[in-house]
Amino acid sequence: MPGTEPDSLDHLSPGVTAVIAALDFEEADRVRLMELGFIPGSSVSCQRVVPLGDLAIFQVEGTQVALRKETAARITLQPSSAGREPDADGG
Amino acid sequence: MPTAVEPQTATPRGLPGENRVVAICGPPNVGKSSFFNRLTGLHQKVANYPGITVEKRVGSLRLEDGGQVDLIDLPGIVGLHPRSEDERICVEVLRGRSDALPRPVAAILLLDSTNLQAHLRMVPGILGLGLPTLVVLNMADELEARGGSVDTEAVSAQIGAPVVLASAVTGAGMQEVARFLQGSLAPARKVELPVINNIPAERKWAHAVVARSSYHAPEPSLWGRRLDRIFLHPVGGPLIFLAVVIAVFQSIFTLAVPLMDAVEGAIGVSAEWIGALLPDSILKGLLLDGVWGGVGSVVVFLPQILILFLFIGLLEDSGYLARAAVIADRSMRAVGLEGRSFIPLLSSYACAIPAVMAARTIENQRDRLATLLVAPLTTCSARLPVYALLIAAFIPERPLIGPFLGTRAAVLLGLYAAGLLAACGTAWLLKSAVLKSKPAPFVLQLPAYRWPTIRSLTFRLIDRSKIFLRRAGTVILVTTIVLWFLASVPYQNGEPPPIGESLAGSIGRTIEPLVEPLGLNWKIGIGLITSLAAREVIVGTLGTIYGMESDEGSPALQQALQAELSFGGAIALLMYFAFAMQCMSTVAIVRRETGGWTWPAIQFAYMLVLAYSTGFAAYRIFG
Repeated sequence: MPGTEPDSLDHLSPGVTAVIAALDFEEADRVRLMELGFIPGSSVSCQRVVPLGDLAIFQVEGTQVALRKETAARITLQPSSAGREPDADGG
Repeated sequence: MPTAVEPQTATPRGLPGENRVVAICGPPNVGKSSFFNRLTGLHQKVANYPGITVEKRVGSLRLEDGGQVDLIDLPGIVGLHPRSEDERICVEVLRGRSDALPRPVAAILLLDSTNLQAHLRMVPGILGLGLPTLVVLNMADELEARGGSVDTEAVSAQIGAPVVLASAVTGAGMQEVARFLQGSLAPARKVELPVINNIPAERKWAHAVVARSSYHAPEPSLWGRRLDRIFLHPVGGPLIFLAVVIAVFQSIFTLAVPLMDAVEGAIGVSAEWIGALLPDSILKGLLLDGVWGGVGSVVVFLPQILILFLFIGLLEDSGYLARAAVIADRSMRAVGLEGRSFIPLLSSYACAIPAVMAARTIENQRDRLATLLVAPLTTCSARLPVYALLIAAFIPERPLIGPFLGTRAAVLLGLYAAGLLAACGTAWLLKSAVLKSKPAPFVLQLPAYRWPTIRSLTFRLIDRSKIFLRRAGTVILVTTIVLWFLASVPYQNGEPPPIGESLAGSIGRTIEPLVEPLGLNWKIGIGLITSLAAREVIVGTLGTIYGMESDEGSPALQQALQAELSFGGAIALLMYFAFAMQCMSTVAIVRRETGGWTWPAIQFAYMLVLAYSTGFAAYRIFG
């Protein structure tokens, strides 16, 4: 990938896939985000950034989920996972 | 050996008189309702769980061998960590801790076969509850159409529960579901499942199961992304949103007219029959003027309510509504309300009561309070009959944007916008002053786009009709009968008095000074009192009053209003109904949710002041 490596979900450009490393939230919020598919180890891709708003839509575990930028910023990505095909540790 | 199940409870079909409740559970957007409708048909009823207003849908199913089971359609869950009230109910029922229901004897876990990896993750948690469980992989038709396939026996062997590939839309796989309910489906061999409560471990396990089940994931649907490109376009998206809203409001007036005429005709004809059958008596007066005049004038609005909910159903089932929420997010944020407030506010377009309840999904207590305080300002469906009556009587229909938007739809749109603006403005006031707080993370799942099915839309409309007619048959009927008695006493020379001299009339004249500044007379004043029970009661009240006043049965309510109310008075009345908290049920629910009378009292007073002052201003301006 050209440029700097995305280290958190809010830096992921549309069309790029990466693997989730960790979630920096209180326990209840962390569990809910995991239940919605943001699980460490899951591959996630940014589908589109909604202009004017600061929402982005992500594809994760087969579903589409909209997150605000500040929420996405607290989901970190595995280093040099961007652009790779999904699921490094899944099977 | 069956999975984690005592042998004697392995069959869901109990003996007559015994508990035979089977729960249907699963994540949201997997077609649970269609599946439930497919199994039970019209043998279902919607009720509330005692003490709370999460809807409880129970239906019965007669089996081929003569037995019967009661199916319960539980709210969607994404795991066993409930955060909202409806998720909590679902988990309680499954654990057998609900007061409302006996513990189910079995469960059906409904998953989306097109998204197997993500959904299988729920299996260990649900099976761990210890109920005999059938795992149904729904949407088989979509899986096949998009070139996917799965070996259900391989899945079954790995998870230790029977697995059926089914489609609630086409009916495929339903015989096997029936066999499970009869207890004649062979149980699967017990297997060890991963540690519950560890989501990453569950995910790994689910991926491993899928990898050994000859699962071919369906091709991603490209048109979903194409549609997103259109609906979420920075300029096009909001414009489409606006066009959709305009189309909905225009059709509430244009499409509903012939249907409303038909209902009105049927009520008129039936009133004549009853009039001809019954001798002149008090009973005849009560039936014709009270019940037919009052309840009938509300029932006329059923077609408009149904058209509104048909559109809401289309938008929700197709998956568009979630995109609209994404578009609306920016404006929500501008008034300081965080993402999760949007869904409760949206549902208050149907009724403020479930919206106030749904605010429980917001964990931030200040956000929650702000949301439930402003929810009754958005335009609930009980306002629609009032708006529709006044608009039809006072706003001449003229095209504004060719055939797409007429004056009447524009006024209705304006009233909905006024309610929304008031809600947002109030939220902003609350959030910037008394209820400041830190934002919670905003997460919104976007369901895949789907064609809404006629079946599911039909069931929605049947539900809505039941709710509307039940209100007409209870709250509205009772207030109408009470009003009819008040308007019939005291007798003068053995005859009912002219309505102005009746008890109702004198009550009305007592409060007339209060409503006069809004350009309203005492008859409308009575309506404002009776409609505290529920907003649409005012239509029934006016139907009864004008029906009793006229000698020749009930004249069209619209003409009667035109004769009695100035244009300015009509606009003032519309404003009053847009903003006043004319609904005792909402007051009661806010009291319960906030645990005291303080907040509902403040809310009621605030809305009354807003309603009265805008009504007053409107009457001054439009005279």
